[in-house]
Amino acid sequence: MSEPDRTPPPTPSPRTFVPARSAGARRLARAVQRVTSTALGPYQSAVVRIGFSLTWLLFLLFEYPHRRELYGPDGPWDWDMAQQLIGNNHAFTALMWSQSTVWFEIVYGLAVVSAALLMVGWRTRTMSVLFMIGVLSLQNRSIFMGDGGDNVIHLMAIYLVLTRCGQVWSLDARRDAGRADRVGPVLWVALGACLAAVTFTGEIDGGWLLIFWGLLAVHALWWAAGRYAPGQPRILLDVVTNVVHNAGLVVIMAEVCLVYATAGWYKIQGSRWQDGTALYYPLHLDYFSPWPGLSGLLASSGVIVMLLTYGTVVVQVAFPFTLFNRRVKNVLLAVMIAEHAAIAVLLGLPFFSLAMIAADAVFLPTGFLRRVGHRAARVRPRRGDVEAAPVERGPREEQVRTLVE
Amino acid sequence: MSTLWITVRADGDRGGMDSYEDRGVSAGRDDGSGPGAPQAPRAPGIPGSGIAALSLRYQAVAALALAVVGVVACVHLGMVFLHVAPSNTLTKQNGEAIDDWVYPEFEQNWKLFAPNPLQQNIAVQVRAQVRTAGGQWKTTGWIDLSAQDGEAIRGNLLPSHTVQNALRRAWDFYTASHDNADKPNGMRGALSERYVRRTVMLRLAQQDLGGEIERIQVRSETKWVKAPSWSDEKTNTRPAHRVLPWWTVTEADLPEGARSASEAAR
Repeated sequence: MSEPDRTPPPTPSPRTFVPARSAGARRLARAVQRVTSTALGPYQSAVVRIGFSLTWLLFLLFEYPHRRELYGPDGPWDWDMAQQLIGNNHAFTALMWSQSTVWFEIVYGLAVVSAALLMVGWRTRTMSVLFMIGVLSLQNRSIFMGDGGDNVIHLMAIYLVLTRCGQVWSLDARRDAGRADRVGPVLWVALGACLAAVTFTGEIDGGWLLIFWGLLAVHALWWAAGRYAPGQPRILLDVVTNVVHNAGLVVIMAEVCLVYATAGWYKIQGSRWQDGTALYYPLHLDYFSPWPGLSGLLASSGVIVMLLTYGTVVVQVAFPFTLFNRRVKNVLLAVMIAEHAAIAVLLGLPFFSLAMIAADAVFLPTGFLRRVGHRAARVRPRRGDVEAAPVERGPREEQVRTLVE
Repeated sequence: MSTLWITVRADGDRGGMDSYEDRGVSAGRDDGSGPGAPQAPRAPGIPGSGIAALSLRYQAVAALALAVVGVVACVHLGMVFLHVAPSNTLTKQNGEAIDDWVYPEFEQNWKLFAPNPLQQNIAVQVRAQVRTAGGQWKTTGWIDLSAQDGEAIRGNLLPSHTVQNALRRAWDFYTASHDNADKPNGMRGALSERYVRRTVMLRLAQQDLGGEIERIQVRSETKWVKAPSWSDEKTNTRPAHRVLPWWTVTEADLPEGARSASEAAR
């Protein structure tokens, strides 16, 4: 984040910020310093970024042959129908800007490319915005094609825009901080031109225009501060960016808790979850039983069905509360990830399950994530990285980039 | 589909995992959830960054930003919480404010197979009146489109949304926006009719019915899943039908794929 030649700014001690008289005030000062100086959870935010962009990328590639039926201008949910519904709910989708098939193909292509680039962490902050545009554009175009998996991708695509999710495991983190950046300004100008053009056509409504212009302005501010005001203004930008990142991460975590809490607490009220047979039923729904033999086998034992039924409810209801205990949380996390993996196959919901696993991953412990990272780096040493070490640099040492910087 | 919100605002379009409101069971045992989100510990900020590195004037700006972001995050989580919570005092009093915040982009539905999993197989079936090349009319038998979906799903590690969601959710949309006498409720009702027709016509285009399709009739066939063998419950396995009136197919009912097929038939 810091330019190498930056002169360290005068550093007032935290005491000047909060006159720390009591222990409580000191603790508060320390907490404020922490959330303003650090973008917390670098590995967690990176794994969420990679997980969701990978899920969406695989989904788009897999559905490529069906893309027009799903989201095309002349699919069963045609452009006029989408227009009527969106005229009513004002959802954002670039696909309503034009009825042409060429435009549709461009948007689909951009969604694929932005997902791939976000996954590898190239210009992460920019790609997260384009990724969100891709997700919203396609999903809002044909809302009745989606399921719970699409729903969670939709939300996380928005929340990821707020986070510094490229601090580790990204191309951004590997880029040489000392070298002058030429791509950034070019990208900024290109996207600015696109936004200006879209603004001129009057296709987006005010709120979204404000958001996109605001994001563009923030990137310009970062660039300008790095160049001309490396002292206090630059630190202030860093502080605000960290605060927004940390808030975004909290929202992501709380959202995952809400998913489980809702799923769990509503189940408790259902008679089938109470009598221990709930699991039996989805296994016998034609739309959710790709392997009837396997489903039948699993559903054949009343005791196993009941244990799994009760277990599901217990885990879902308990999960948010286990966050207060690391060890219990990790055990439950493993159970939930395993359950989602089973759902992927048994109920034929691979992308839903992958998305949920990506969401769960925000709670994985840092030590575990680092170990996985090391192992992954050892398996595939890439050109130039061999000495630079598979040890990814900690978030402190490396660049956290915005678009132009 | 969250019926809770349909009453307030006919939305509730996201999600769409099969759930089933258990009307037999009432007793509002409601509770919220505990959000809370501790954070994996990390090294504290180094000097030269964070709010401590700022001069008083900049600190004021930073503190303001911190306050605004904190408040917005809390309000957002509160709104989303109320959106997914059962109808309660707060949602009844502030339903509109919550909807305005949450819709359209933060809409969510996590009643995954809850309160009860769906316990019926609902198949969408169609029959058509076809005019043959010789100018004769003929009515086909019922074609089970959901069974075709089921076949595509069976043995498939990666079922497509086109077979797993398209028809199933189109029918959900139809039933949710019509009353039992098939009267549509407003725009959504009309949209759902057209959507079902187009979805069906796209499917029919892929099969040879022996002529040009003039009219179609759609019905759903609902079969209860047989109670488990270890249970002493009796299940009525006789299928129940909901039969819609005949529809005359117009140009507007033909998606691209169906249109080319109909031209070929002509």
